[in-house]
Amino acid sequence: MINPEYFWRLIILLGIGTFTIRFSIIALSSKVKISDRVKEIFSFIPAAVLPALIAPLVFYHKGSVELIFGKERFIILVLATIVCYYSRSMMLTIVFGLFALFGITNI
Amino acid sequence: MTSFKDGFKAMLPITTGIIPFALVMGTISSEAQLSLMQTIGMNIFVFAGASQLASIDLMLKNTEVLIILVTGLMINMRFMLYSAAMSPTLKDSKLLTKLSAAYLLTDQNYAVMSANQDHLKSSTETIKFFFGSSLCMILTWNTGVILGFVFGNFAPTSWALDYAVPLSFVALVIPSLKNNKYVMVAGFSSISSIVLTNLPFNLGLICTAVLAISLGAYLTKKKRAL
Repeated sequence: MINPEYFWRLIILLGIGTFTIRFSIIALSSKVKISDRVKEIFSFIPAAVLPALIAPLVFYHKGSVELIFGKERFIILVLATIVCYYSRSMMLTIVFGLFALFGITNI
Repeated sequence: MTSFKDGFKAMLPITTGIIPFALVMGTISSEAQLSLMQTIGMNIFVFAGASQLASIDLMLKNTEVLIILVTGLMINMRFMLYSAAMSPTLKDSKLLTKLSAAYLLTDQNYAVMSANQDHLKSSTETIKFFFGSSLCMILTWNTGVILGFVFGNFAPTSWALDYAVPLSFVALVIPSLKNNKYVMVAGFSSISSIVLTNLPFNLGLICTAVLAISLGAYLTKKKRAL
């Protein structure tokens, strides 16, 4: 059982810290002029950050299909990336991935 | 008003990735014997799922507050990049708009906004779109967490619905890849995060983000006449 006092102390500090991070550069927005070059660099942020949030979790996940060394989640994610790239459909990507994983782990 | 609705609608497909994550969050909160008020309090004060999950895990091990705080803030450091990317749009907004937008920043609504940036004509439209997608995000997240807390993870285990989380991130990244340079940066980010995964305090994520953005900057560097 987590001590409530310990819990709230952490959550309030984490809340303040996280909000400060989120507000940091927005707070400066009217004071600092952001050049087109910097905006161009900012446009790489989703490509630079989002893959790093999921790639390790999926890559190191220990799966159950021995034939492919338990790497079914990683392999299907690569295939889903290709499906997404050509279809440009979020729904199709997610449905494909879930059915592919269900298929490969249940046959 | 239409941009607000458009933002809400653009977020709907992504809810398939938010719900399983929220259910896991709610289930883990209840397994850790947190009260419903603590669970909702965490959602309101922190509103950043990955750091909330890591914090519960560390609190169960009675880790020192400072260490959990540093770990959580490292996980959330990426929001500074989103804050930077949002700042040109918000530069003429009222303080209250800036504060609300900052509070609502998440991976999903930032990515959806970024993918739709070309259709959004003005800053005002972009901000409305962002608030629309944020409303969808916050409703889905809190509903999912409460359902997970009350009922546990009720999805049948043969269907690994938690896998919808990484799949939804694929669907978020792909529309932001405008050309091969972006594809290279995303590929680099994946490999680097896998290689650096064992660095303490989630430094692997931050190092990867910095290196991958630097790669993007290098690839788009204008050739200077000598």
